[in-house]
Amino acid sequence: MFNPFEDFKEFLSKAKTLPLDRLSAAHDQIMAELTSGYGKLVEQELKSLVWFVEHNRVIEAYKTATEVIKDLSYDAHSIEDFCYVLDSGVDIPYLISGPAGIYVAALCNHVAEDKIVLRLDEMKRTLHFLGYRLPYGKSLRIEGDTGNFTGSALQGGDITVTGATGDWTGAGMTEGKISIHKNCGRNTGEWMQGGEIWVDSRIRGLGRITSGQVYQAGEAVVDSLMA
Amino acid sequence: MENGKYRHTVRELYDFIQSRLYFNRPDIRVGEEEFNSTLLFTLLTALTGGKALIIGEPGLGKTTAAEYVGSLLYQLPVGTVWASEVGGHPEQTEEKIIGRPDLGKLNQGQEEVVWSHFVQLPVKIVDEINRLPETKQSMILDGVDRGNWEYLNEMIRNSEYCLFATANYQDQGTNTIIAPLLDRFDVMVESRHPGPSYGFLISQRQEKEELLRHPDLERKLQEALKKRSSPEEKDSQIAAISEAFGAHLQESLQLPTLDHTSRTKVREQIGSIALEQDANAYARMLLAELSFCDRHGQKRSNEVCEEGCHYTGYLCHRLRNCASNRLPVSLSNYAKALAWFTEASTVGIEEMRAVGPYCLAHRAQWTDTHLSLLQKDRRNDPLQIHLAREAMNEVFQRYSEQAEHVKEALATAYRIFQGESLEPVAGDHPIYVEIRKDLNLEE
Repeated sequence: MFNPFEDFKEFLSKAKTLPLDRLSAAHDQIMAELTSGYGKLVEQELKSLVWFVEHNRVIEAYKTATEVIKDLSYDAHSIEDFCYVLDSGVDIPYLISGPAGIYVAALCNHVAEDKIVLRLDEMKRTLHFLGYRLPYGKSLRIEGDTGNFTGSALQGGDITVTGATGDWTGAGMTEGKISIHKNCGRNTGEWMQGGEIWVDSRIRGLGRITSGQVYQAGEAVVDSLMA
Repeated sequence: MENGKYRHTVRELYDFIQSRLYFNRPDIRVGEEEFNSTLLFTLLTALTGGKALIIGEPGLGKTTAAEYVGSLLYQLPVGTVWASEVGGHPEQTEEKIIGRPDLGKLNQGQEEVVWSHFVQLPVKIVDEINRLPETKQSMILDGVDRGNWEYLNEMIRNSEYCLFATANYQDQGTNTIIAPLLDRFDVMVESRHPGPSYGFLISQRQEKEELLRHPDLERKLQEALKKRSSPEEKDSQIAAISEAFGAHLQESLQLPTLDHTSRTKVREQIGSIALEQDANAYARMLLAELSFCDRHGQKRSNEVCEEGCHYTGYLCHRLRNCASNRLPVSLSNYAKALAWFTEASTVGIEEMRAVGPYCLAHRAQWTDTHLSLLQKDRRNDPLQIHLAREAMNEVFQRYSEQAEHVKEALATAYRIFQGESLEPVAGDHPIYVEIRKDLNLEE
């Protein structure tokens, strides 16, 4: 008589593991993949040991970042965890705040979830370019401070920073909204084409704004500061 | 390479029918693609040589969908397809459906059968099958099942055929389709109202049937079918005329079609697609729920499922009948055909879940309690397909929760069957009991 279970002859049962072990292993795997992706970006971008903020360079870096992450499987929580991996410096050969921030921005822009929360208030350093090109329909809440170019080239997304941001916040943004609960630096809104920047506390200086509006403590400030 | 060529041809046929002949909305999603279920399943039926029951309100394209697909997949002018259709009505006779004595020969004392076009052609359409009285439905049982048609002492066998039957919803003139006949249909689909926009478009495209007409070839086919010749000679004549119609479609519409050899190759390709272990285990779990009865050994339509059974949470408690052996055959054949059509290299759970509701809908007889609970659900499908879809989803949910455990149980059962001294894997589902029965361990 033939064996009716023949189709399962080759079935290899997975080794029994505790749920926590599986979660931990899966988490480690994702972090390893994200770190490897960042390594590829750094490899591409760091021909020299200095990374300059040039418009073309940023676009190129973002393009490369998008390319290296396209096959990665991750969620919004993994992005937050990865920020701390970057901050810890373990397994990260070169932490350069610019490419690292662009890499994190690309992760945020391509993650499946529309709402992303990054609790970065315990990080020792800040990342630049967080929220770069955040598209319409996505919201990014950053708890803690951010570096320069926060929300630059924003494309309709909604960014909230509970701490302070550095210089060039919202530079080149076309639409969307950036809300900053504390201060922001110089050249805020430089070459801004549209959208809104809301700052609860002090704005150190505005950039040359083409269009859009900047509010300080609820008051529109573009005209008065530029005058 | 050839695989891709045939698939490309079939895709072109689907697109042609969808854009030029049968206008309707997509209502089924497979992977990233959306299809119209009536068109998809009539096409897969024609491809696999299956049997489809198409239900729906009058005038919503049940018969025409079958006619267009049959005409294009088998290279038959649509006029020939029309001429071979059997209409379901109370006065229908065996002589009109299957064959009649040759009266000229009978006068000379010889008995010879003149076979109907319906019996001879590979595309068989029974229009309004539920208008055939129940006693007359059994006349077509054997032919439908095996392709064997008998009249007097003669027999004709179809080596390649597909069957489409249409049925309206119950009214004064309809009868119940007998369970054995119903079970022989691989799938049941509903040809739905296309919505006002596509519906209005149909009124603007009345010339569409002319695209598939060819009076000259229709006449030649008529003559070939009437001719007294050996089955081989007749088949080769019909094949030659069909190929001429295929060439005509290529020339006039730039539409490639499949000849008999190509269709055979397509069937071989479909048959060679393997089932993934998950699809296999999921199907076994489904079948277990559709046939299991803890108290009586198996489901039987004349026995009642008692309250208080441990397994009341499973489908067996809500069903009145037992799944037949034709269900897994239909599931497997159509899932493979769908995988072939959508370029999947293997059959996974997705293909099983896509075809499952249509394979199960007409075969499952649900209890009145279950029907009354679900008939008011908000839904797009007719109740039978909706219930089958819900059932498939429910089993999928259970399978997802214990997939590894079920596969482990089946793999362990393999080793026990081979003589290893192991304990069967236990679990709370009919499948584990059925595995014990297969291993002769159940008391």
